[in-house]
Amino acid sequence: MIELKNIEKYYATKGVKHYVLRHVSTSIKQGEFVSIMGPSGAGKSTLLNILGMLEEPTYGSYEFMGEDVTTLNERKRIELYRNHIGFVFQAYHLIDEMTVYENIEAPLLYKKIGGSERKSRIADLLDRFNIVAKKDLFPNQLSGGQQQLVGIARALAAQPSIILADEPTGNLQSAQAEEIMNLFQKLNKEEGITIIQVTHSEKNAQYGNRILHIADGVIKEDLVV
Amino acid sequence: MFKLNLKIALRNLWKNKTSSFINVIGLAIGLSACLMLLLYVSYEWNFDKQAKNWKNVYTAMTNVPGEGNKIAGTFNGTTTALGPLLKQNLPEVKYVARMDYGKKSLIANGQNSFKKDSKFAEPNILKMYDYEFISGDAKTALSNPLSVVLTESTAKTLFGTADVLNKSVRYQDKENLTITGVIKDLPENSSNRFDFLMPWSFYEILDPSVKDLNWNNYSFVTMVMLNPDANIDLVNRKVEALVKANTPQTPQSQPHFLYQASKLHLFGKFENGQPVGGNIEQIWLFMGLAFGILLIACINFMNMATAKSEKRAKEVGIKKTIGANRTSLIFQFLTESMVLTLVAVVLAIALLEICLPAFNGLLSINLGISYFNAASWIGILGIVVSTGLIAGSYPAFYLSSFNPIQTLKRKIKSRGILTVSLRQVLVIGQFCFAIILIISTLVIYRQIQYIKNKPVGFDVNTLVEIPQDGELKTKFELFKTEMLKSGAVASMYQSSVSLSHHGRNFMDMKWDGMTKPENTVMFNQVATSYDFIKTNGIKLLQGRDFSKTFASDTSAVMVSASAVKVFGYKNPIGKKVTIFGDNAYIIGVFDDYVWDSPYKSNNPQVVFLNQKQTGTITMRLNNSNNLQSNIETITRITKAFNPAYPTEITFINSLYQEKYKSEKTLGILSNLFGGLAIFVSCLGLFGLVAYSAEQRTKEFGVRKVLGASVANLMQLLSFSFIKMIIIAIIIAVPISYFAMGKWLNNFEFHTEISWWIIPVAALGTLSMALITVSFQAYKTAKANPVDALKYE
Repeated sequence: MIELKNIEKYYATKGVKHYVLRHVSTSIKQGEFVSIMGPSGAGKSTLLNILGMLEEPTYGSYEFMGEDVTTLNERKRIELYRNHIGFVFQAYHLIDEMTVYENIEAPLLYKKIGGSERKSRIADLLDRFNIVAKKDLFPNQLSGGQQQLVGIARALAAQPSIILADEPTGNLQSAQAEEIMNLFQKLNKEEGITIIQVTHSEKNAQYGNRILHIADGVIKEDLVV
Repeated sequence: MFKLNLKIALRNLWKNKTSSFINVIGLAIGLSACLMLLLYVSYEWNFDKQAKNWKNVYTAMTNVPGEGNKIAGTFNGTTTALGPLLKQNLPEVKYVARMDYGKKSLIANGQNSFKKDSKFAEPNILKMYDYEFISGDAKTALSNPLSVVLTESTAKTLFGTADVLNKSVRYQDKENLTITGVIKDLPENSSNRFDFLMPWSFYEILDPSVKDLNWNNYSFVTMVMLNPDANIDLVNRKVEALVKANTPQTPQSQPHFLYQASKLHLFGKFENGQPVGGNIEQIWLFMGLAFGILLIACINFMNMATAKSEKRAKEVGIKKTIGANRTSLIFQFLTESMVLTLVAVVLAIALLEICLPAFNGLLSINLGISYFNAASWIGILGIVVSTGLIAGSYPAFYLSSFNPIQTLKRKIKSRGILTVSLRQVLVIGQFCFAIILIISTLVIYRQIQYIKNKPVGFDVNTLVEIPQDGELKTKFELFKTEMLKSGAVASMYQSSVSLSHHGRNFMDMKWDGMTKPENTVMFNQVATSYDFIKTNGIKLLQGRDFSKTFASDTSAVMVSASAVKVFGYKNPIGKKVTIFGDNAYIIGVFDDYVWDSPYKSNNPQVVFLNQKQTGTITMRLNNSNNLQSNIETITRITKAFNPAYPTEITFINSLYQEKYKSEKTLGILSNLFGGLAIFVSCLGLFGLVAYSAEQRTKEFGVRKVLGASVANLMQLLSFSFIKMIIIAIIIAVPISYFAMGKWLNNFEFHTEISWWIIPVAALGTLSMALITVSFQAYKTAKANPVDALKYE
């Protein structure tokens, strides 16, 4: 599903190149649950951003579902966001002005999904995540764990084939973190959604079936759990 | 999607109350100022355009030849002979209607008598202007000489009802006229207004000189309606040839041309016979003011929106990652600005309704929202939409261009060089406009003061005048005796015109030592009785006033100092001049006084003794009595002479006040809108500072912990804003200096731009801005650093 070849990323400041990623090559198949681990500044978030097409690599090729996406135009990229990729952020990044319901609805509106279908999908998600009672609340009225649940529900609303999660439990207490990780595992196992997460925690990494260890921009280890 | 956008827009407005308030109030003020001025503009613009055929209605104009083949002046007076000549010889002419200029005359229903605006006109006038007849028939209304057409309100004043067809009214206490029609009141924005209209044939009975087709007396208006397909240039060439062929040609012959009647109001200024604008310039100025203020409000919106970009950037980033494209984001931001504009416009219309009476009072006009017709409502809608677009487009394009990863990583360069400099440019532009308005206001105010303080040449206080009507014409001497005996009046005289009058100009004048065969200098004539100088107190430079002790004074004249200059007489007393072919001898020279425009030197004037030319009675009140009793005495005696006429006493100083009206209007408007511009600009500045302070709370917290004082922090926050104001001052001062210098040069008598005006305007603006900024800066600087630092 994902094919990275020789990805390089550096920032040039005053003529000096600071490498963030060097010679990253890997492939991720449909249905995998990959955890990217490494110390701070290792380049794991950059890698995830490149996977999510939020950043462009300086060199190298990246194929997403058989399509070279390094040269993708904005319209095509947005198509991918609408249909295939769901993002989950450490800081949740819900839209403050929208209620829970509206936050989950937003991607469906952009995808131009009809009203009745939209309603049933949102009802389904609210039900599954046990947040029906919260649907008319605003993000700042929810706890962090609840907000992240909404974030995941939003990511799932468009029925993506892959979820990219950047430290999804980084801001959460351990009990809430466990809940989220269980949810990811379930989504991966039962619905076959590919999940790529960046995490610091060895424990969270164990929920997946593959771990990429990154240090100084280089993949040091590629473990199957 | 749209519904959600709308909801979010409203929530955003509610959440950011300060900025919403600033934006809504700013836009509402801008829009209501804009609407108010547009109301005024549409009122002026639609002057004389109510009739269906207004495009084809023309007025005959007359060019007055001046020195050296130039045209000295252009006016809309014509002779009685012109109309019939045009009608007979020009196939393009559909209708011709001669009118008089109109005057106040007495109309009475029994004891119920009033002085109302009257007009005489040929029946064809009813075909040019489609007056709306409530009763009566437009085709026959003016066919009988002894008929009259009343306006609805005149009918109601006289009879208490508009149902007055075939009843009779008494004109000037002389003739009974039958009412043959009642029409709807004429709109205020029409030039040929009247309260009652009488047929030309009746005018011919009253004044035989009207019947005579002459080429000398230019006291009539000739209205012409052309066929719709007529070519006006061609017609005007024919008019010129026609008049040339049919009148004796002398250097004083006055050529005619036709001019669209509706243009006379706004494009009524002529130079050398060519139209050179007129009141339209004021209209452009007001339009500029209106849109300037609206633009200032729009700039506020843009600045606030882009200043908030950091907050909104996160939202943009998230939306992009869940599949929003740029178009949908732009659409969302435009929805927000449209919602805001819509709220503002509702407020603006409310504001307009509240302020309109005061505005009408200030300008002494009578505007109502009803002057907006369907087309103007579409225009307003256009303004609203374009305001929303202008205000919203920049933020929309700017914000929607954010790259999601940068915004989500909070790496947005909100203080990059380019974005800030655009915001700075906008703020500088706002304040430039405001400062220019302040300086203009001060200069206009100074100019009005200068003209007001310029002596008119006599003591205007305790001088009153009354129109010389009815018995006062024939029994003036008796009236004078009784008045003087009553003690209310110290001295009085009658004259052909009021002290304050527009020109009654003529050129038929000869004097000894004239270099040219024909005089081409315009003189102003006043016919008077005894006690002219004694009453009005104009300064006598040489010689004496008219006196009964000199029988020869019937052929004597008094002339103004400027007239003596034209004659070139060293010792003018006793010298001969010839007026209208009659010899007259100069007995007195008086100083020039202000009788027409106070802004320029008036024509030379000659005053002669002729008791037949009645018009106005001027009286100097007796100072030893109180005003009230003087007025009562005058009213009582006048009423005894003229029971049918209402007594109208006018104070001369109020007549002189009238002369400053148009400049006063300009002063009021620039004051008002200058103030508004400053207010809205400061509002925007306040918003920007508030936002900047909010953004920098953390920085301020750190600085405070490191030991910065409140003053340090205030300086830090204020300096960048004050810098912008100073730049604005530097730009605005030369512009306004130049512009106002040019404006002042329009007046022959004008003040200079005093040096102190500039520092006053600059310091005023600066201190306003400083107060605005430091209020917010102080609040931020005083805040507890812990509050700022405990976030994150």
